[in-house]
Amino acid sequence: MQPVKVYQEDRIASPAKRVWITFSANPFALAGLWSISLLLLLTLFGPMIAPFAPETQDPRALLLPPSWDPSGTVTHFLGTDDLGRDIFSRLLYGAHLTFGMALLIVITALIIGFIIGSLSGMMRGLKSSILAHLLDSLLSIPSLLMAILVVAVMGPGLENVFWAVGIALTPQFVRSIHHSVHEELQKEYVTAARLDGANSLQVFWYVIMPNVWEVVIIQTTLAISAAILDIAALGFLNLGAQAPSPEWGAMVAQGMDNLLTAPWAVTIPGLAILFSVLAINLVGDGLRSALAPIRN
Amino acid sequence: MSGLLVACSPQQLPSGLVYCSEGNPESFNPQLVTSGTTIDATSHQIYSRLIDYDTQSGKLVPALATSWAMSDDGLSYRFTLRENVQFQHSSRFIPSRYFNADDVLFSFNRIIDAQHPYHFVSRTGYPFFQSIGFSEQVKKIEKINEHEVVLYLNRKDASFLSNLATDFAIILSDEYAQQQLALGQPENVDHFAIGTGPFTLVQYAKNEYIRYRRNPDYWGEPANVEMLVFDITLKSTTRLAKLITGDCSVSALPKAGELAVIKQHEELNIESQPGLNVAFWAFNTQKPPLNDVRVRRALAYAVDKQDILRAVYQNTAIEATGVLPPASWAYENNKRIDDYNPQKARDLLKEAGVANLSIDIWAMPVARAYNPNTMKTAELIQSDLANIGVKVNIISYDWSVFTQRLSRDEYDSVLIGWNADNSDPDNFFTPILSCSAMQSNNNRSRWCNPEFDALLDSAREIADQAERKVIYQQAEAFLADQVPLLSFAHAKRVILTRHDISNMQVTPFGGISFARTSQVHSEAN
Amino acid sequence: MFAYLLRRLNLFLATSLVMIGVLFYATGLFPVERTYALTGIHAPTTSQLIQIEQDYKLDKHSGWQFIAYLQQRLSGNLGISVTSHQQVAEELRSVLPASFELATMAAIIAICLGVPIGVLASQSQHKLTQNTIMAITLTGYSVPVFWLGLYLSLWFGVDLGWLPISGQINLLYEIKPITGFMLVDTLLSKSEYGMSAFKDALLHIILPAMTLAVLPFTVVVRSTRSAMMNVMDQTYIRAAEARGMHTSTIILRHALPNALIPVLKHLGLMLGSFASYAIVVEMIFSWPGVGSWLVSGIYQRDYTVIQGGILAVALLIIFLSILIEVLHTVFNPLSRKDLYATR
Repeated sequence: MQPVKVYQEDRIASPAKRVWITFSANPFALAGLWSISLLLLLTLFGPMIAPFAPETQDPRALLLPPSWDPSGTVTHFLGTDDLGRDIFSRLLYGAHLTFGMALLIVITALIIGFIIGSLSGMMRGLKSSILAHLLDSLLSIPSLLMAILVVAVMGPGLENVFWAVGIALTPQFVRSIHHSVHEELQKEYVTAARLDGANSLQVFWYVIMPNVWEVVIIQTTLAISAAILDIAALGFLNLGAQAPSPEWGAMVAQGMDNLLTAPWAVTIPGLAILFSVLAINLVGDGLRSALAPIRN
Repeated sequence: MSGLLVACSPQQLPSGLVYCSEGNPESFNPQLVTSGTTIDATSHQIYSRLIDYDTQSGKLVPALATSWAMSDDGLSYRFTLRENVQFQHSSRFIPSRYFNADDVLFSFNRIIDAQHPYHFVSRTGYPFFQSIGFSEQVKKIEKINEHEVVLYLNRKDASFLSNLATDFAIILSDEYAQQQLALGQPENVDHFAIGTGPFTLVQYAKNEYIRYRRNPDYWGEPANVEMLVFDITLKSTTRLAKLITGDCSVSALPKAGELAVIKQHEELNIESQPGLNVAFWAFNTQKPPLNDVRVRRALAYAVDKQDILRAVYQNTAIEATGVLPPASWAYENNKRIDDYNPQKARDLLKEAGVANLSIDIWAMPVARAYNPNTMKTAELIQSDLANIGVKVNIISYDWSVFTQRLSRDEYDSVLIGWNADNSDPDNFFTPILSCSAMQSNNNRSRWCNPEFDALLDSAREIADQAERKVIYQQAEAFLADQVPLLSFAHAKRVILTRHDISNMQVTPFGGISFARTSQVHSEAN
Repeated sequence: MFAYLLRRLNLFLATSLVMIGVLFYATGLFPVERTYALTGIHAPTTSQLIQIEQDYKLDKHSGWQFIAYLQQRLSGNLGISVTSHQQVAEELRSVLPASFELATMAAIIAICLGVPIGVLASQSQHKLTQNTIMAITLTGYSVPVFWLGLYLSLWFGVDLGWLPISGQINLLYEIKPITGFMLVDTLLSKSEYGMSAFKDALLHIILPAMTLAVLPFTVVVRSTRSAMMNVMDQTYIRAAEARGMHTSTIILRHALPNALIPVLKHLGLMLGSFASYAIVVEMIFSWPGVGSWLVSGIYQRDYTVIQGGILAVALLIIFLSILIEVLHTVFNPLSRKDLYATR
């Protein structure tokens, strides 16, 4: 039963609800959210709908154009590559690698970054300042350089991409969380809470954290799009996923051999990358503008 | 106003020719390597040999040696050397004398004499010469006078002169070598090359270009182009794109699928020739389980060559039935009906007691005339072998690392091939499958069979072609039975040129030569 | 102010030290012998080995080794490249200018196009214009740069035949490196082909610079737009409007200079990803700069080149981002407030 309204004013919605209301008022952001949901579904169930296995070669269907082309066939919806592999199926399996891997990396980086960042953020003085410098220098290494260093140590391969991109992303999380925790810590309401007798853990969890979540969310969307682009770039440079792998960047690299004769083998995986990064950036943008009034 | 005029006038280009080549040379001395990229960049550009092949007739013709004669017992060869031949000038070296017998002695003694101060300057050895057992074959080289040398052999060899005409047997400058040795920098001889060829090496920028200039003192007819640039472009798509945009005038090693694009462009020509080459999959016969001939046979049965010919060569190549290509006079079609038989392959594996086999295939990272796309070939074989339950890991490194690691012989199998250096059929056996080739790491199968070697030796001692052909066919049968490698294609040699290039000769064997190429300058550009 | 500069210098040194420390740690992890990873000398002779041990204090514990490593690297000894047998420092010097040239060109394009469009987006009353500009920038932000580069070269190079797609210049022009910047060198060269070489070099730089400019362009447009919107709300702008000043004067004289300050900050934050993009762009267009040199170094497992390249690029980025921060402070009196704040 609804509580009886005594006053004329509307009820003040909870912050999360207010964010959702602003967010969903933006059609682009909403479209991005739907696209991400679709991608998530494809990442989880893509292999089940894929008509072919990613490595199945059909020597009688080499370099078939997509089905809307007069010489394309419906069996191979998005055409085939130069070994007769179905691009549509490879794309679906690739979602698992590119998009799924990006999520996995970001979640790992987020957890590690969260732990280190919040611990260091709560610290004061020299230790904190040393850590800040250390993070600044790690951040100044472009992610691709970091990846190159990791590949130089471990050799190319999809597993190493996990480490390479993960190592490149973690400092960003650590730094932004460290920063915002540190900033909040200076504020007076924290001092008030301390005066009320809250211990450090309580201060951290009940007082500071609610104000840090927004930073975490925004950083996460940024990190996912960066991770996808990095994984794909490494695959493209042949430093990440290796040849038969249907990772999207590697697919572009494999299609490059036939760029002039069969451009669709490059176009389609490229569009897939563009589509997923765009979706995430749309959501990120929407979130940022929805959160903006709360943050200020 | 004048500035405006300059801006409007058609773009002027210095006269010269740009060739889009496929990789970095490992050295500037072809004696030290067998890779085609290095040969292309050095052999016919910077250097000359004692004798040459005539590209049209396939006959031996004079080069730095004006005449030669074999003794009656076939154990010594006397060469009369060309006079007044200048070595090239460079910032490091200005020759004080003409080419003479000392230079010939230096060039060959460096290879055969382990005491020679230059012998170990090469870290890679002399792979071609080691693979044909050159040091064992040549007893000594004698200088008769300034312009006459005699080479003494330990045994008769019908392919000896052919080997001297290969791209590896180039002549270096003794004077330059002595000078650099005195400076304590002998390795400069192999980096900053000095030879007697039609072009002088000017500059090499790794991953970017090699620049040559016409050698005005060349002993033959001077080259037609003033400047020659090798534009090092690793990706074949980029090479083609550069050819289309006019950044290159000549380009090599297109992927088979690109030929269709080239035909759409009127300004491009395709020059092709059936090549004396073979692409194969070599098994490391020293490493279990590939030391078991049944396993090797099984793998050979499992591979569908037709698929490879279709997908990798787009039906531009000829299926290989042995190592010898149809263009060789010793060739015979040995096609078996049951070439591709996965069931037989599975049975053989079971018989050998091998289950859950997993092998590595090393795939060359670069395109070669015999195989334009080794990675694709490896992926095809990977799926073929998956059919018989064998798992394949494809391994590839950059070319320099690839050859280095390959010589450490840790590999299971490698997709590679062989480009003939001369038209003698021996060139398809001894350099890649003999015991001496194994020592020089040129025998990628690491397969040494004395019986097989004896067969090759006997073929070399006979002069008669028909008799030799019989023996080479025996050798083919031997290989078909032992399967140290699985050959799958003989590819065409293809060179792409823009329409203003003429006289680009495509030879069935050996490296590329720009000595006779010329360029008609067109104003439209 | 002096104390502030000192602190920034301190930050630069500390950060660089950490960076070198990371590289030093990595030399121990490379899957090759330590001496080889440090110097690039494959199979050294005994005397070379003794020299290496002395130089890098390999007999001492790792603290000393790090100091020795630091000494060697800072004195310019980056070892030799395995593939070319040349000094890595020498090679680095020959590839750096090309990268600078490309990056500068891209930055010029990005700023010259980005600032006006950003201002336009902030001032436009049309929803359509605004949305189009935002859609373009968001797409530019999301597009994988290697794919974009491939497509631009396919369209403008191969299909239309307008622009060359690879390299810095037609190799037939033999240009002596004086400054290392191709565009400058062609103008300085005394050969009769100087002018046409310059034109050729200019044509060659267009596609890679455009591709690389996409990222900074989107950043500039977006940050200019939001900064302009912020600034235009300020009271001093209102006051200027009230005095009846012309809108263009207000924007150019009063709003834009202040709006550009946060743009500068955003550019500084973008440097890292800009460098990543530059590496990929150099690979696609075979631009002979640090990026393609570094990537071929890794293909060739040339460990000294990898170290040298990463060191150079990272130091450069550290330096530039601190420089931008300092500039930001100089131009922005407001941020000087927290110069002495305990952060």
